Amino acid sequence: MPKVTYIESNGTEHTVDVAEGENVMRGALYNGIPGIEGECGGACSCATCHVYIAPAWWEKVGAPENEAETELLEGAAAPVKAESRLSCQIEVTSQLDGLVVHMPETQY
Amino acid sequence: MSDQTFKDYVQDPANPVPPNLPNQPASAGLPSHVPPELVVTQWPLNTQEFLAAPYQFMADMHNNYPPVYYGLDPVRSSWGLLKHADCLHVLRNADTFRNLEAVPFPRDKENYFFFIPQEIDPPHHRKYRNIVDPLFSPAGIKKLEGKIRGRVNELIDQFIDDGECEFTLAFGRTLPVSIFLDIMGLPQDMLFTFASWGDEMIHGGSPEVSGAALAKAVEYLTGAIEEKKRNPDDGVISLIAHAEIDGRKISDKEAFGFVCFLFLGGLDTVYATLNNIWAWLAQNPDRVQEIIDRPDTDIDKIIEELLRRFSVVQASTRFVMKDIEIGGVQIKAGDRVNTLLPVANFDPDVFPDPLTVDFDRPRKTTLAFTVGVHSCMGGHLARMEVKTALQEWLRRIPKFSIKPGEKIEYKAGGVIGPDKVPLVW
Ligand code: HEM
Ligand code: FES
Repeated sequence: MPKVTYIESNGTEHTVDVAEGENVMRGALYNGIPGIEGECGGACSCATCHVYIAPAWWEKVGAPENEAETELLEGAAAPVKAESRLSCQIEVTSQLDGLVVHMPETQY
Repeated sequence: MSDQTFKDYVQDPANPVPPNLPNQPASAGLPSHVPPELVVTQWPLNTQEFLAAPYQFMADMHNNYPPVYYGLDPVRSSWGLLKHADCLHVLRNADTFRNLEAVPFPRDKENYFFFIPQEIDPPHHRKYRNIVDPLFSPAGIKKLEGKIRGRVNELIDQFIDDGECEFTLAFGRTLPVSIFLDIMGLPQDMLFTFASWGDEMIHGGSPEVSGAALAKAVEYLTGAIEEKKRNPDDGVISLIAHAEIDGRKISDKEAFGFVCFLFLGGLDTVYATLNNIWAWLAQNPDRVQEIIDRPDTDIDKIIEELLRRFSVVQASTRFVMKDIEIGGVQIKAGDRVNTLLPVANFDPDVFPDPLTVDFDRPRKTTLAFTVGVHSCMGGHLARMEVKTALQEWLRRIPKFSIKPGEKIEYKAGGVIGPDKVPLVW
């Protein structure tokens, strides 16, 4: 299974296995990792799964693919940066094995 | 409030005991912290005025009601919140605003159980959601798309040649029940029985009839859990019955409270949502044409906007654990607050011109499925049902209207939806 590393805003790291086909938001929820709320369950309608993609992964992960994510990201609570994504919109694949994401201080 | 023992209450789902929360019946007089000018003497979403035009009424509440009001009730008075921001605040602070006794369903105090996951607060809450979330996640529901679409078409096959149907019975009721039976691992031959329980529960006309229907459903579900314990399959009931929590086997009460809540939460909601949307479509042929003309990729935003505009769950109720100010109003530990979800979805500060169905609205957090840790577990399933229903229906029956001489009427009840939707095409 691909591994994903989630880094809390205080620096705490969590590396876990996430099944292919799942999304990055779910990986955090299933493993009880604090820092991602994912309250709409991945419907791209809450912006509480905001993450910053680590530089090494920018290219592979890429920018939001749909307008809905771009629009909703604007409403995220923490500062939105070029490397911001909504983690429910990132599907875990073997290409993303080793992915590192940083979580913002707050999702609300 | 002198009785503050609820502050020491520790929720233990393995050994459920009633939290015995204080109530504030109207007969006890107004609590001293409640300003009289904020008092409303009746639950607004049940009045004749409301039933005459529910969605108009809820949009108008932003002009006619204090944004934070105190609603008197013979049993449990409670605050009502109308503003989007206030509702988000409450729903996203699960430590201060708890879900204890969130389901107003009388239970035997000596043999208490929780409705799961709805009445379980963090930290236990997520353990239960993790049991079933993989099935209800976008990826999980995607796998069911073909099956749901097939079921939609089978239902349409049954009445399309008649040129008419009473939508709520022919489709609004049957689709969610039929999908529910599949997901739970129950036989389709229960379709008619389940549908009539649902109908008696909503339209029974008296507490006796609805209570009796619920009792039959409860008995059946209890039997089904026992059966799945002996003969596991890949349905949700079996998954729950064989689940482990913190390394121990799930208890009978937990399994029951979970399965039972899925039955309560997953049927009438989809039913009312479909009925509302189809009543609107039937009266707005130009909007139907607009949906047909839009590219397929717009379907998700169409569904999100319809769910915002026709939210059916009236409120999320939370119990207040500590004194706090909301919208400049002092709210005290021991009070209850209702976030009026459809009303918050009509907050003009967030959704200008709120009653207009506008598929191109900027995306904002909507509350149809509530927000926070308790946001709806079945949201993706519900979206998939509405989406496939809309696509297949409009493909096969693109022109339809309300049967001449018939009127759309709303009846009082927990979820907001028209009583009958007679259609012709
Ligand atoms: C359009 C249809 C639906 C609507 C509008 C809806 C709405 C809601 C709302 C507003 C809540 C929060 C209640 C509260 O905070 O007090 C909720 C919770 C819930 N819903 Fe739905 N629901 C729908 C369909 C479904 C379906 C199909 C299922 C399952 C088969 C389901 C299962 C649940 C569960 C289990 C919860 C509790 C979640 C938790 O506490 O973690 N719902 N729903
Ligand atoms: S979980 Fe809601 S937008 Fe990602």
